[in-house]
Amino acid sequence: MDALYNLFNVLNNVFVNIAIAIRSLFADPHSVWANLTMDVINFIIVVIIVVLAALILILLERKIAGWTSQRTGPNRLGPRGWFQTIADALKLMGKEDITPAGADKFIFKIAPMIIFSLPMMTLAVIPYGKGMAPLDLDLGIFYFVAISSISTLAFIMAGWGSNNKYSLLGAMRAVAQMVSYEIPLLFSLLGVVMITQSFNLGVIVEAQAGLPFIVLQPLAFGIFLIAGLAELNRAPFDLVEADQEVVAGPFTEYTGLRWGLFFLGEYGNMTALAALGATVFLGGWQGPIFLPGFVWFFMKTGVIIFFMMWVRWTFPRIRIDHLMHLAWKVLLPLSILNILLTGLGIYIYRLVMGG
Amino acid sequence: MENNEKFKLQVTELATRVNGEVEESFGVLVLKVNAPYIIETLTAAKQFADGPCDFLHDLCGMDLVDHFEVVYQLTSLRGSQSLRVKAIVNRENPVVDSVTRIWQGANYLEREAFDMFGIIFKGHPNLKRIYMWDDFEGYPLRKDYVTEPIELRNITRTRIEGE
Amino acid sequence: MSINETEELILNMGPQHPSMHGLFRMVIHLEGETVTKIVPKIGYLHRGMEKLAESRTYAQFIPYTDRLDYLASPHNNWAYVQTVEKLMGVVVPERAEYLRVIFGELARIASHQVCIASTALDMAGWSAWSYAFRDRERICDMYEMTAGSRLTVNIMRIGGISAEPPAEFWPALQSFLDDTPEMLEEYYGIFFGNEIAQGRLKNVGILSKELAENLSITGPVLRASGVNYDVRKAEPYSIYDRFDFNVPVRNGCDSYDRTIIRMDEIVESIKIIKQALRDIPEGPIMAKVPKVIKPPVGEVYHRVENPKGELGFYIVSDGTTKPARVRIRPATFINLQMLPIVALGWKIQDVVAIFATLDAVLGEVDK
Repeated sequence: MDALYNLFNVLNNVFVNIAIAIRSLFADPHSVWANLTMDVINFIIVVIIVVLAALILILLERKIAGWTSQRTGPNRLGPRGWFQTIADALKLMGKEDITPAGADKFIFKIAPMIIFSLPMMTLAVIPYGKGMAPLDLDLGIFYFVAISSISTLAFIMAGWGSNNKYSLLGAMRAVAQMVSYEIPLLFSLLGVVMITQSFNLGVIVEAQAGLPFIVLQPLAFGIFLIAGLAELNRAPFDLVEADQEVVAGPFTEYTGLRWGLFFLGEYGNMTALAALGATVFLGGWQGPIFLPGFVWFFMKTGVIIFFMMWVRWTFPRIRIDHLMHLAWKVLLPLSILNILLTGLGIYIYRLVMGG
Repeated sequence: MENNEKFKLQVTELATRVNGEVEESFGVLVLKVNAPYIIETLTAAKQFADGPCDFLHDLCGMDLVDHFEVVYQLTSLRGSQSLRVKAIVNRENPVVDSVTRIWQGANYLEREAFDMFGIIFKGHPNLKRIYMWDDFEGYPLRKDYVTEPIELRNITRTRIEGE
Repeated sequence: MSINETEELILNMGPQHPSMHGLFRMVIHLEGETVTKIVPKIGYLHRGMEKLAESRTYAQFIPYTDRLDYLASPHNNWAYVQTVEKLMGVVVPERAEYLRVIFGELARIASHQVCIASTALDMAGWSAWSYAFRDRERICDMYEMTAGSRLTVNIMRIGGISAEPPAEFWPALQSFLDDTPEMLEEYYGIFFGNEIAQGRLKNVGILSKELAENLSITGPVLRASGVNYDVRKAEPYSIYDRFDFNVPVRNGCDSYDRTIIRMDEIVESIKIIKQALRDIPEGPIMAKVPKVIKPPVGEVYHRVENPKGELGFYIVSDGTTKPARVRIRPATFINLQMLPIVALGWKIQDVVAIFATLDAVLGEVDK
C-alpha cells in the first residue's frame, strides 16, 4: 500500500521534480539565469498546451457536432478521423494569404497575432498541479481577466482593418457583448476571492482541499459559465461570428494561416477560460490521490469544455437585445446579489466561529 | 347554384356599366373591359354584394399580337367565387392604371408584367424591372421578341459605357 | 464628412450569403442593428420559364416545372399536368389520383421539413437542421425508388403518373408514417421548445390578417395570420374532397406561428396519406392520352396548394401543340412582398428569421 502511495506521489510531483532537477543544474538554483531558463521552458510548455488544445479541441468539437446531430463527424483521416485537424492545418498553411485592397494593412495583419497571443498569456497563471503554475502571480484572477479582455481590442482591429461592412458589424457586436459580459464574469469570481482573501489562483486551489467552491458558490458558477460563453463568443452567444447574419464577422476577409490563428486563439481562449473555471470552482488539481493532480485538472477542464461544446451544438443563437438584457438585467444583479450573499455568509460564519 | 346565378347577374350588370363583355370558360366567368375602366371594374368586383371577389390571386400580362391583355384572377378567401378580369391594353401605347392602391400585393406582379411585356402601370410606386437587369433591352414575353442565341447576342450587342 | 454626422449603413446581403436561401439579395439599410429599409432584389435565378414554355410542347414542359419549387417538385408537376388535363378534359384513373396524393403529401412533408430545418439553421440551431434533414432523406429515398431521382422527381404525366411504386416502397412509407410522431417530438424538443428559439421567433415580424389578405399572401404564411383558407378545402382539386383532414390555423401572426404551423401541416399530411393508403384501388396508372397533345382552344386557370402557398397555372391554348401562354403564379414570389413591410424596425437577426419563416425557394420566386 505504501509503495502504491509513493508511486502516486512520484507521479503527482513528476513535473515539479523535473523543474527542481533543471534548476539544480545551476550553481545557484535561484539565480537570474536559472529563473530565465525556467521561464523559457514554461513559455514553450504553454505554447505547446495552446496548440495541442486547439488540435484536440477542433477534432473534439467536430466529433461532438456529429454526435449531437446524429452524424459520425470526421472519420476518414487516420484512426477514427483523428488526423483530420492536422490535415486541415496543413491545408490552411498552403492557402493563399490575401489582404484586401482597401484594408488597413498593419491593423489587419496584427489582429490575429494579438488574438493568438492572449491565451498563452492567460494560461501562464493557471496552476496545473501542486506548485505547477508557470507564473505564480499574486493577482492571478485580476491578471487573467485583464488580459482576456484585450481580445475585444483585437476583434475590433480585425473588424475595422478588413474594410468590410460585415466585419465591422461583427466587431461592433464583439465590443458590445464582451464589454458587457466582462462585468458579471469578474463579479462572479469575486465571491471566491472574498472567501479565500486572495487573488492568487494557487491559494484558491489550496483552499478547496475540503470541498470545491462550486458547492459554496453555485450561483457564481452558473454566472461564470454563461458570461464565459459570451466572453468567448461561443454559441448561443456567437453573434460576433454569426454566419447567418454577418457571414463570419471580423474573420470574413481572413484566409489561410491568419484565419487559422484566429481559430487557435479561439480554442486557446476556450481552454484558458475552462481552466480558470476548473481552478476557481471545481478545485483545480485537488482530487482523490489515485490520480495525479494535473490529470484531475485536465479532466475538470475537459468537462467544462465538453459542456461548452454541447451547448453550442444544441442551442440556437440569442438575439442581440436579449443578449444585452441578459447581461445587464439578469446576470449583473445576480452576481451582485451573489457578492452580497457571500459577504453575509462570511460575516455570519465569523460571528458563529468567532473569527 | 342560386348563388352562382346571382353572382353571374352581378357580373353582367357590372359589364354593362363598364362597357365590358362576359364570357364563360371552364366554369369561370371572364369579364373583358377596356383598360381605362379597370380600376372601376376591380373596385366594383371587390365590393360585390353577393360574393365579393376581394383577393387578387394573380395578375399577368398577355400578348395577343394585336393587343395586350392584363389578366386579373380574382378569388375570395371566404367563398368559392372566382372571376377573371381582362383589361384590353393598346399595343402601341400600353398604359393601364395600377391596382396597387386596391391591393398592395399587385406591386411585384405589375413590375413583372412591366418587365416582361412593357405594360406601363400608371400610379405604381416603383415600376422597375424585377427579373431582368435594369439596362435590359426589349420585353422578353412579347411575341415579337427575337430570342437569339447568347453567342450571337454577345457579339452583336454593343457595350454600354461603364458596364 | 464631419465626425458629428452619421449615415446609414447599407448592407448588401446576398446573392451569395449563408442565410439567403438560394440567390436572393436584399439591400438592408441599417441604423445600428435596426433595419430601416429593405429592398429585395430578385432575378438571379430567372430562367424565363414562361418564355421557355411557349417553345416546348405540353409534355416537354413537365420537367421544367420540377425546377420551380425544387423542394416539392411533385406539386409543381401536379399543378401543371392538372391544368393541361382540365384543358383537354382527361379523366385520370383512380389509382393514379391516389398515388398523386401520396406523392404530393410526401413532398409537402419534405418541404416543411426543409423549412423547419432551414429556419433552425438560420438561427444557428445546427442539430435541429440535421434532424429534419435526416428524416427528409427517407422521403427522397422513396422518390428514388419510384421515379429514379431524389430532388426533381418529374413523377407526374399528363393523364397519370410515370411509374408504379415498387414493392419495397410500401413498407418504407409505412415505417416512415409510423415514425413521424416521434420525429415531430424531436423537432419540438430540440428547436421549437427551446427558450432562445421562442424568444427569437415569438412576437417577431407581425403580419396582420388584413395586411396578409391585401398582399395576396397564401399558404401557411396566410394561415399563420389567422385566415382559414386552403385550396384543398375551399376548391378541392384531385380527390381531396374524399379525405378527412383539418386545416391548421394559428392566430399569432408572428414568425413562431409561421414556422410551427408547418409541424401541424405535417400531422395533417400524415393523416391524408394514411387514408389514401387505406383506400387506394388497383388499376391502371395512366389514362388514354393521345400521343400528340393538342388541347382545344381555350384558357384555364388552375391552382393547387403548394407547401409554400398557392401555385397557379394559367395556360392559354391556341389549338396547336405548343401553349400560347403559360403563366405561373409563384406563391413565394408574392409572399416575398411582405418582407420589406414586416421586417422594418427589427434587427438583422430577425430579418434573417422572418425570411426563413417565409420558406422562399428562389427557384419558384425567380421562375
